[in-house]
Amino acid sequence: MEPLLEIEDLYAGVEGKEIIKGFNLVINPGEIHAIMGPNGAGKSTLSNVLCGKPGYKVTSGRVKFKGKDLLKMSAEERAREGLFMFMQYPVDIPGVSVTSFLKHAVNAVRKHRMEPELDTMEFIKLVREEGRKLGLTPEMIKRDVNVGFSGGEKKKLETLQMSVLKPDLAILDEADSGLDVDAIKIVADGVNALHTQDKGLLIITHYQKLLNYIVPHFVHIYAGGKIVTTGGRELALELEEKGYAAFVKDNQ
Amino acid sequence: MSKLLHDIKLIGDDIPWLKDMRSAGRDAFAVSGIPQPKAEAWKYTKPIRFFAEDFTPAPRGEGCLNPNKNLPFNACKIYFENGVFSSCDDDLPQGVEVLPLIEAIMFKPEIRGKIGALADVSKHPFAALNQAYLGEGVYIKVAAGTKVEKPLAIINHITADQELRQHSLRNLVIMDDSSQAEIMEYYCYDGELKSSYFVNMVNEIYISENASLHHYKLQSEAYKAAHIALNSVFVAASGEYKSFCLQKGADLSRNETKVILSAEYAKAEVDAAYIMNGWATIDTTTDIEHLKPFTQSSQLVKGVIGGQAKGVFQGKIHIAPQAVKTEGYQLHKAMLLSDEAEIDVKPELEIFADDVKCSHGAASGELNADQLFYMRSRGIGEEEARQILIDAYLNDVIAKIDNQEIRQFMSMAANPLKERE
Ligand SMILES: Nc1ncnc2c1ncn2[C@@H]1O[C@H](COP(=O)(O)OP(=O)(O)OP(=O)(O)O)[C@@H](O)[C@H]1O
Ligand SMILES: [Mg+2]
Repeated sequence: MEPLLEIEDLYAGVEGKEIIKGFNLVINPGEIHAIMGPNGAGKSTLSNVLCGKPGYKVTSGRVKFKGKDLLKMSAEERAREGLFMFMQYPVDIPGVSVTSFLKHAVNAVRKHRMEPELDTMEFIKLVREEGRKLGLTPEMIKRDVNVGFSGGEKKKLETLQMSVLKPDLAILDEADSGLDVDAIKIVADGVNALHTQDKGLLIITHYQKLLNYIVPHFVHIYAGGKIVTTGGRELALELEEKGYAAFVKDNQ
Repeated sequence: MSKLLHDIKLIGDDIPWLKDMRSAGRDAFAVSGIPQPKAEAWKYTKPIRFFAEDFTPAPRGEGCLNPNKNLPFNACKIYFENGVFSSCDDDLPQGVEVLPLIEAIMFKPEIRGKIGALADVSKHPFAALNQAYLGEGVYIKVAAGTKVEKPLAIINHITADQELRQHSLRNLVIMDDSSQAEIMEYYCYDGELKSSYFVNMVNEIYISENASLHHYKLQSEAYKAAHIALNSVFVAASGEYKSFCLQKGADLSRNETKVILSAEYAKAEVDAAYIMNGWATIDTTTDIEHLKPFTQSSQLVKGVIGGQAKGVFQGKIHIAPQAVKTEGYQLHKAMLLSDEAEIDVKPELEIFADDVKCSHGAASGELNADQLFYMRSRGIGEEEARQILIDAYLNDVIAKIDNQEIRQFMSMAANPLKERE
């Protein structure tokens, strides 16, 4: 079986600053991986590099997504191929409603897959239904993208986008930050509902709590630009107890 | 003889007052000529660049195809082909009179004294040139108390098959007391895109007491054309003039709107948008004169400029000494899509009265890179994402259009991707 994502000896950075230094990771279909690492370690940088954000430069290494060279693709091609980034800081887009934004996105993806565009009524029904599951009201869905959304609502909107786009691999960058106890569960349920045997998840988080809801097969500790330790679900608990120092020191 | 002035035989030269007006126009243009780069009102737009070559008036009836361009909205249509009146729908609403201007000049002596009175030839060189050829255009009169349901659409269609043609058109609009109407001007073309032509427009609009005119305009000329328009509007007590103009075509384009709020409670809203690429210059100039107390004006102008194009906004609000308790607002915003794009903004407030509320503002920015990436990260292509952001940017000014069908038409026109669909 072909891996979903293969990252091999990746070196990358932003603004002339090297942040990722020798990163390796393989995600196979059906797998859930978690990455935990101290503030400023470069977790968001990694997801930005993987999603093709302008300004982020890869100096060496290889990244394959479903067997294709990911680094050769534009940001939109990566998304159309089935990569999704659940953003740590979602962006406001005044003047563009959630529905119209999502419709453009879904149709772009469908066009890429040579599927017919969705009928507007059908589409609105779908978005409302998915929104309802996440506690996003029809009124919120009519609003402009992220404008006036609370921190938690923004994360729900990210989840909604993921539900509608149905990516093969989703990178969740601190999906849990700023969420209240109930909301964590709602977002996690939304994410879990999408996870099937042919899909993958990469969860970036600071708290092992989220991992109670989205249970990973692997937990990686990321520091100094690379993975320093890999373990199972229990590694997150151990980390919470001991702190990063114990893991980072051993390896550097 | 100055460039652009040509001795051609014009219909109606046997009408003495018309002949006099034409010579007054010729004389004024002979004095002013094409505005020089130093002329204050034209210092940013510099029209001289466009007139390196001469433009000659088209012989009557040249290239009349009359393809009756369809509009995606319900309207009573008045067609001009290559600058010549060609037809008018015959189901004119009750209380609305539409005549080719030359017929109005011949058969409606009462318009003498109205025509040419608002467009001052000594102040506006191109209006002077326009008056030198006075005769083409349309006369529209809406009778007192009439509320016209359907918009009147004036379609100026150029087949653009002849090089270096000059089209002078003048419309005279008279809104009698308590009447209401909507007028849409649409400038478009077909055929050889590369030909250069010059449309020189003057609208003189009289809005009587308590009357209201909503005036829309879409300038979508061929990319090597020049389009220069003066809208000169007189508003009586409690009258309302509300306009929206989208300029998106031509190499040189100016839409100048002068409104005289002549009596108490007269009101003007002058909104505009422009979108330009390439090397074009696109100019929105306004001049709102508040002469009496309780008059109100507001302006929202938004532009999107790319390539090496240049956007110009000159907005003047004048408040006369007796015009107390007036309100005048103006806001210009522009989005620059490239490093070489340019905008020049000149707001002017002349306030001679106390107790007025007046403000102006200007802002410019670029497309937001984070928003662009956010959309692309969801699979939306870069060009489409840019267009969505431009749409969003222009959304609030287009939303000022009350007529829903025209609003939709303008919103499509502002988006080349939607237009292609
Ligand atoms: N655009 C940028 N310009 C300069 N430095 C940057 C830029 N983006 C990130 N950095 C730096 O790169 C490092 C890694 O940042 P990153 O956001 O990837 O960390 P993180 O692991 O996601 O941290 P957190 O847990 O706080 O979200 C930080 O030192 C940050 O300051
Ligand atoms: Mg981060």
